[in-house]
Amino acid sequence: MKNPINSLKRFIEQGSDPLGEEMLSELELNRPDADGEALAAPRRSLFSEKPRRPRLIHALYAASSVALCLALIGILLYTVSGLPSFGGADTLADSEVSAFYIENGLKDTGAGNIIAPIILSYRGFDTLGESHVLFIAAVAVMLLLRPAPSDKSALLRAYEYGDDKEEPHDDLILMAGGRVIVPLILMFGVYIILNGNISPGGGFSGGAVIGAGLIMYLSIYGYGPASRFMTLRVYRAVSACALGLYSLFKTYHFVTGFNGIESVFSAGIPGTIFSGGMLLYLNIFVGTVVALTMYALFTLFRKGDF
Amino acid sequence: MPEVIRFILFCALLALGLGFMLSALIGVNRFGFSLNRLHAASVGDTMGLGCIVLACAVKAGLDAVTLKFLLVYAFMLLTSPMSGHLIGLLVYRTDRSISREAGIWKP
Repeated sequence: MKNPINSLKRFIEQGSDPLGEEMLSELELNRPDADGEALAAPRRSLFSEKPRRPRLIHALYAASSVALCLALIGILLYTVSGLPSFGGADTLADSEVSAFYIENGLKDTGAGNIIAPIILSYRGFDTLGESHVLFIAAVAVMLLLRPAPSDKSALLRAYEYGDDKEEPHDDLILMAGGRVIVPLILMFGVYIILNGNISPGGGFSGGAVIGAGLIMYLSIYGYGPASRFMTLRVYRAVSACALGLYSLFKTYHFVTGFNGIESVFSAGIPGTIFSGGMLLYLNIFVGTVVALTMYALFTLFRKGDF
Repeated sequence: MPEVIRFILFCALLALGLGFMLSALIGVNRFGFSLNRLHAASVGDTMGLGCIVLACAVKAGLDAVTLKFLLVYAFMLLTSPMSGHLIGLLVYRTDRSISREAGIWKP
């Protein structure tokens, strides 16, 4: 089983099955109007009956969600109508804010990359919210897609009816390529994160690269090896820690900045890794959250669990 | 004079690469069967991109940028066969017209 050549042989042998006809006959049997009641049963068990809520509360939920969505849409449209017109004469092409950033960014923060202090320091509150939005998105998807803890057979069904039937497992060529590419991608992501304060990049882009590398690892080597180090417990602990530390660092930043206290994170020498105050640490936290969340979203949509 | 030769070499390589890309484009759009299309597309990946990258390297001269161009090509050489292999496997496993199109006997 572990020998890749054997598994490749096994895969080719499996592949020579008249798979199309098999699937077609399966579909025929599972059609609702087919009279084979016993054969149609496993298909039906995929959508198991759940205890329903009372009708009135259900209708209330539906009505209130529609009302909430319409209210949000209205607020957003009203805000958009208040924006200055595109290309208008009174639109500030380059406002004094950007001029301020260009003039004082390096002096204030000591970061060579001017974008990093803008998103992490000047507008740090905004980015703080963004990171939490990512985390909340993953949590919402988890709530929607994860089977209930009591539903032990859900994962089994996901494997049985899932779309990874046609995919190669333990593919020799893929694994040989992945051995070269995946470490390179992960290393490149780490480089982008660590160099976020001196060159283009930062937590979001580097985290996205690392997340893509993790997704690639999952796709190549299958769920088994990936689930050895990426479990729900790891995801919860690491992203909660990163978000908490991020919030803590930002709180310290706000408090010291507002009260004019000297921060322990000095600007440093521009161009070195440990310059730019706390930007390096913030980039690391944001990158961790983004990478883990990308991986979590992929794996949740893919198989409904970690 | 070396500059002129260099420019001519650059133009020739670029034209060659674009020609390969054009052939790949025509092949992908004109062939009917997916494996034939794969064959046509791989011409663009290997020869087309190779010539274009080489042209860019000639234009940029011998420095760190050249190395980056070659890295792009190496990455493409590494990943393109993998995706081609996956597409081929998927076609082999799911396309029912493969025995007629490719002459592969499937029991």
